[in-house]
Amino acid sequence: MDSGKNIVELRNVSRTFRDFWLRPTVKAVDGLTLDVRPGEVFGLLGPNGSGKSTTIKMILGLLRPSGGEVSLFGLSPRSVEARRRLGYLPELSYLHPFLTARETLMYYAGLCGLGRSEARKRTSQLLEMVGLEEAASRVVAGFSKGMSRRVALAASLVGRPDLLVLDEPTSGLDPVSTKEVKTLIKALSAGGMTILMTSHLLADAEDVCDRVMILNHGKSVAEGRVADLGTSLEEFFLAKVGDIEHFRLAPFLSQES
Amino acid sequence: MRGFLEIFKLEAMSLVRSKAFAMLLAFSVAWVVAMACVATGDGTAEGSREVFVRYSLGGVFYLLVVALLSSATGSLASERAANRLQLAMVRPVRYFHIALAKAAALTACGAVVLVVSAVAVCFRTGVSERCSHVLKPAMPSPREEAEAMYKTYMADPNTPAAVRHASKGVVLRLLANRAIDRYDTVGTNETATWRFPLQDVAGESALGAGLAVRARFTNRFDMRDEVRGVFRTGGLCGVASNITQAVVKVPLGGSAPAGEELSFQNLGASALMFRPRRDVELLVPADAFLMNLARALMELVAILALVVSFGVFLSASLGRPVALFVAMVVLVVAEMSPSVVEQYPDELETKASDRIGLVMTRFIEKVTRPVSSLNPIERLATDSCVEAREVADVIALDFVAVPVLLALVSAFVMPRKQE
Repeated sequence: MDSGKNIVELRNVSRTFRDFWLRPTVKAVDGLTLDVRPGEVFGLLGPNGSGKSTTIKMILGLLRPSGGEVSLFGLSPRSVEARRRLGYLPELSYLHPFLTARETLMYYAGLCGLGRSEARKRTSQLLEMVGLEEAASRVVAGFSKGMSRRVALAASLVGRPDLLVLDEPTSGLDPVSTKEVKTLIKALSAGGMTILMTSHLLADAEDVCDRVMILNHGKSVAEGRVADLGTSLEEFFLAKVGDIEHFRLAPFLSQES
Repeated sequence: MRGFLEIFKLEAMSLVRSKAFAMLLAFSVAWVVAMACVATGDGTAEGSREVFVRYSLGGVFYLLVVALLSSATGSLASERAANRLQLAMVRPVRYFHIALAKAAALTACGAVVLVVSAVAVCFRTGVSERCSHVLKPAMPSPREEAEAMYKTYMADPNTPAAVRHASKGVVLRLLANRAIDRYDTVGTNETATWRFPLQDVAGESALGAGLAVRARFTNRFDMRDEVRGVFRTGGLCGVASNITQAVVKVPLGGSAPAGEELSFQNLGASALMFRPRRDVELLVPADAFLMNLARALMELVAILALVVSFGVFLSASLGRPVALFVAMVVLVVAEMSPSVVEQYPDELETKASDRIGLVMTRFIEKVTRPVSSLNPIERLATDSCVEAREVADVIALDFVAVPVLLALVSAFVMPRKQE
C-alpha cells in the first residue's frame, strides 16, 4: 500500500457506541483497514447493521473513531482543507424545504467557497445535468422523492470534489434515473473523480464499482476487484454473509398457510 | 467568509419564509400602535410619553427576547435532528462560522423589528425632545464603604460573635447593600452637600443652562410630608416645593456657572432624608431624543445578540426541547433574581435549606447583572441619556466578545453532539 497515493485511508479503525454512562453498547466497526485509490469507484457493501454508515461517517469526519486512524487526502477528515475536496450524497436527501432547487445549489456552492458568478454558472450546469431546469424555481418541499434525490446529487457535485461519497445513490430513483446515475458515476470516474459508494443493490454496485469491500458485523469479510471475483457479485456477497437472517419467516408462513 | 454569509442568509430566509419574521414585525407594530392609544400616564405630556415609551418598546423587546431565544434554541438542534447540519459540517466551513452566522442572522432579524418599532414610536413621541446626562454624587463605591465599615466592626469589641465568625464575603455583601440604602438626614435649616463630577460630561464650558436636580425626599416614617428647600450649585439655584415620597425635578436657574458641589438647604419644618446613592441626581442637558433612541437601540440589539448567542450555544449542546426549557428557566430566573436577592439579603437569617436556591439565584444574578442592570428602555422613557461610552462597552462585550466566545464553545461542542 502506498499511503501517499490513497485518497482515503483507514488503519485498524474501530468505533464503539456508548450509552449515557459511557458503557459500551455496540461495536459498530471493528479493526477495519481500507484504502480508496485515486480515480477508482470503491463500493462498501454489507447487510443492514454491518457498519457501512458508521464507516462513511468516520470518513466524513462526522464521527471520531474509538481506535485507529482515518485520513482523507492525508489529512484529518475534520480539517477544512480535506472537506474542501469532498462531496457527499446522504442516504436521504435532507434538503431545506423552503429553498428552491436553484437556491439549494447556490447555498451549497457558497459553502464550498465558489464565487457568485461561478456558483450561478455551476448551478445552471448541474440543474441541466439532473434535468431540473424547469423546476429550478420551485421550492423543494413540493418535489417528489426522485426529484429531491437529483437535487441532492447535484448539490454533492457543486464544489467539484475530488472525492465523492455516495450513500445509496440510487435509493428512491426509478429505473431510468438509476441507469442515468450509474452512467454519471462512470463518467465522473472516467474524468478522474474518486468515488466511494455504499449500496444495497448489488447489481448497481457490480455495474459501476472497480473494487468492493464487504462488511459484516463491523469487520471486512472480503475485498477485491469486481472483475476478479469470477462470479456475480450477488453470489459472492451471499457466500460471504449468507449466514445472516433478519427475518424469521418460517413460523409466520406456516401459521398463515 | 462566503460560508458564513450563506448560512447567515439561509437562517434569515428560514425566518422570512416561515412567516415568523412577518408575524413578529406585524405584532410589534400593532403593539406600539395599541400602546399609543392606551398609554396615558399621569396626564402630563412628559408622563404620557414615559409610559408609552416604556411599555411600547419594552413590550416589543420582551417579545423579541422570547421569540428569538426560542428560534435560537432550535437553530442548530432542529437542523441536527433533521440531519441537515451534517451536510453543512462536511463542507469547507468552520463550525465556528456556522454557530456565529446563525446567531448573527437571528440578531439581524431582531434588529430590523426593533428599528421598525422605534420608527413607529417616533411618530407618537416626536424626535426633538432633549434628554439629560444623569450624574450621581461622587462617593466611594458601596464595596469600599463596606470594607471600611467591616474594619470598624471588627475593631469594635462589642460586635456580636455571630458577625465576627460569619463569612467575610457575606458580611461585606450585607454592608454593601446597607451602604447603597444608607440615608443622610437633613434637619430644619441644615444643609447637605454632595460632589458631582460635572466636568466628566459637560466639559469646561456652559455649565449653567438647562441643569436640573432630580430628587426623591423621604422622612423617618415614610409618610407624606411637606418639602421646602433650595438646591444650589455654584451660582445656580432652584426651589424645591413638593411632598416626600415623590420623584421631583427641580430646574436650576441663574447667570453664573455651576460648581462642582450641589447642596440642599432644608427650609421646611421637619427633617428630610436622602439616600445619596439612589435619591439625588444632577441632570445635565444632552442631545435629542432621536439620538438617545439610536443609542438605546444599539444597546438593545447588543443584548439581543447576547441572548441569541446563548440560545445557539444551548442548541449546539442540547436537543431542542431541553435547550428551550433551559433557556426559558434561565431567562425567568435572570429576570426575577435581582428582586429575590434584594428581598433575601441576610444570609445569616435564612434556613440552610434555602441556601442552595439562594446561592444559585445569586450566581445567576451576578452573571446576568451586567446585562440586566443596563435598562436602556427605562432611561429612554425617563429622558435619561444612554451614554455613548456605555454603549461602546456594551457592544464590545455583548455584541462581539461574548457571542464570539459562545460561538467558539458551540463549535467545540457541535461535532461531539453530532456523534
